[in-house]
Amino acid sequence: MSTDDRTPNLVDRFVALKQQEWFLFTTVAVALLVFPWALIDGLEIVAEFIKTDIGGYTGLPALILIYGIVVIGFNILLGYTGLLSFGHAAFFGGSAYTAALLTRSGFIPELLIKSPILMILIGSLLAVLLAWFIGFLSIRRSGVYFAVLTLTFGQVMYYYAMGPGGWLTNGDDGFTPDPGELLGHFALDQSFPGDLPVLGDLPFLSTLLTDWFYVLVAVTTFLAVVVGYRILKSPYGLIFEALGQNEQRVNFVGLNVFRYKLMAFVISAVFAGVGGALYAMQTLTLHPNGSLYWIISGDFVIMTALGGVGTLFGPIIGAGIFEYIRLVLSGIEIAGYEFGGMWRLLLGGAFVLIIVLFPSGLYGGIKNVASSIAVRFGNTTGRTRERPEHEPAERGGDD
Amino acid sequence: MAIINTLAAILVNGLQQGAIFALLGIGLTIILGTMKFLNLAHGALYLLGAYLGLVISQEVTLSNSLLLGFVSDPSAFGLNLSFTVALVLVPLIMFVVGVLMERTVARPFYDRGEVDQLLVTFGLAIVAAEVVKQLMGPNPFPKYNPSTMLGIDVSHPVTLPFAGTFPAWRLLVVVIAFVTIAITYLLIERTDFGLVVQAGTRDSEMVRLLGIDINRSYMVVFGIGAALAGFAGLIGGTIINLTPAMGTDNALVPAFLTIVVGGAGSVVGAILAGFLLGTILAAMQLFYSQWATIVMYSFVAVILITKPEGLFGSVEVEE
Repeated sequence: MSTDDRTPNLVDRFVALKQQEWFLFTTVAVALLVFPWALIDGLEIVAEFIKTDIGGYTGLPALILIYGIVVIGFNILLGYTGLLSFGHAAFFGGSAYTAALLTRSGFIPELLIKSPILMILIGSLLAVLLAWFIGFLSIRRSGVYFAVLTLTFGQVMYYYAMGPGGWLTNGDDGFTPDPGELLGHFALDQSFPGDLPVLGDLPFLSTLLTDWFYVLVAVTTFLAVVVGYRILKSPYGLIFEALGQNEQRVNFVGLNVFRYKLMAFVISAVFAGVGGALYAMQTLTLHPNGSLYWIISGDFVIMTALGGVGTLFGPIIGAGIFEYIRLVLSGIEIAGYEFGGMWRLLLGGAFVLIIVLFPSGLYGGIKNVASSIAVRFGNTTGRTRERPEHEPAERGGDD
Repeated sequence: MAIINTLAAILVNGLQQGAIFALLGIGLTIILGTMKFLNLAHGALYLLGAYLGLVISQEVTLSNSLLLGFVSDPSAFGLNLSFTVALVLVPLIMFVVGVLMERTVARPFYDRGEVDQLLVTFGLAIVAAEVVKQLMGPNPFPKYNPSTMLGIDVSHPVTLPFAGTFPAWRLLVVVIAFVTIAITYLLIERTDFGLVVQAGTRDSEMVRLLGIDINRSYMVVFGIGAALAGFAGLIGGTIINLTPAMGTDNALVPAFLTIVVGGAGSVVGAILAGFLLGTILAAMQLFYSQWATIVMYSFVAVILITKPEGLFGSVEVEE
């Protein structure tokens, strides 16, 4: 290679730049800014070419990010700490219902909250309390016992919401939240920037950011990424990762395994709670099947593992693929054949293949390729934090 | 006496529900105990069993099905043989399915950790449910009550002492399930094959060192587990309507509840826990049907928290 003898070369510089925090966060912010355009208009251009309607629609970008927020947290639990929960729908749906109930006077007439931001705060507060309770009781068990315990708690909530709790949740008929205006002024479905005078002169912003709800979701996602990143880079996050690799050694070092596992569980529940509250604003009717049922917990598992456990961005990509297949590809026709109900089959098949072939998920697979490119063409960086070969690295990934 | 009648009714319903739970639980627990393999696709085996039973014993009308273009008469799809034939064929077919599953899916995952096993079988469960949905259509099929079994007319109700009247086939189904459970129990507890399986749950390496082909035992164990799950599906198809979601909703979760209550790896535990959960469910359904599932789940949670090794399990079975 001709570039081999020059240090540092372009690849090295790029790798070094990538490790800078500000670069990462700026990239995320820019990505969030152009995401709706890329998903809707960008794909529409492609759709024109291939004569197949593969473009997204308004509302899809926000929905993908909502699940993205949830799985950032879920991944801290599954990808790093190595705990597989089948009960995160409890936090997602619990928060969604709490947030939604407060927006309707039927629940507590004196306590009427018409503020999306308060909905998020109160919803995630409930998720924290729930997670503390469920986690405290479940964390002592591992593996299948932990999975079943979290599942049972989640299912209790689901069946309560469907049956005896119908007076509160409206059961099978669904509950219609009424989130009100952001900061008491901007309706969520109002197009951005509305009557905000300062930004009114920037036409490209209003094209990119579709409505105020997307702005809220994008800002929340940005915060979620920053918080998630900081947690994983902190000593706390390192202990989570250590727990996933060898719990016993962490215990031998003298750390309180139970406490750290519980914290990972609660932290992941906060993300699920934030996502749940946003979901309550996005959806027209909140139904237990779409929020509390254990299949929703399963969806979080699929999204996370599909994109790549143990990577910060993998699960978000997984959420995007999942929702895109579920909501867009499910509607398209290829050669006169309607995909329709096949989406879940496609997704399930892809999921199985990825688990079998790439244990570290799609993003993990791409990252491996990228890092081998960096090693091939760069000469100073690229493999700095790679684990030794002999160590079994079932849950790979390192950022 | 009203109370005795009620209790007897609960018992019969509980035995039927419990038999299904027990059959599912035994299959899951011997696979878990012997191979340390967590099979979230166990519900899919139940689903396949139920639909196989439908196709073998009935003629149904297909709608929204991928098969529509391929079958000559979509309004009469199925072999329309008797329920008795299904009783024999379904477990046999499912045994083969189980053996194939062990060879292709499970074996590569024995060394890959619990979470990966859960993930891959969860994916398989989704695929199986979707395949059934595409082939047979998303609409539910009515449960199939056998009218004759083993040559006996079982469509008439019989009157039991205390319990009141029950359809004869329901009682016969319970009896057949009991016989199957008993045979499985004897196979595991009283035969040389069972001895190998039991030894395998303790120390599979030692068994291998003794010159026993444990891989073949693994295949057979997986096959038996699948056959039992399919059989449970066949019985399940006589009491609930068939939908592609029945595998996860009505089988997978209860099967896991059964084995954690009974103690993972314990066949006796799975049988007793199955009947215990079945009776709880039946009793609650009679009095407070809305709370039935909630009470069952809460019961399991309490057991798991207070007795993590299960009611009938030994502590030796690793978590």
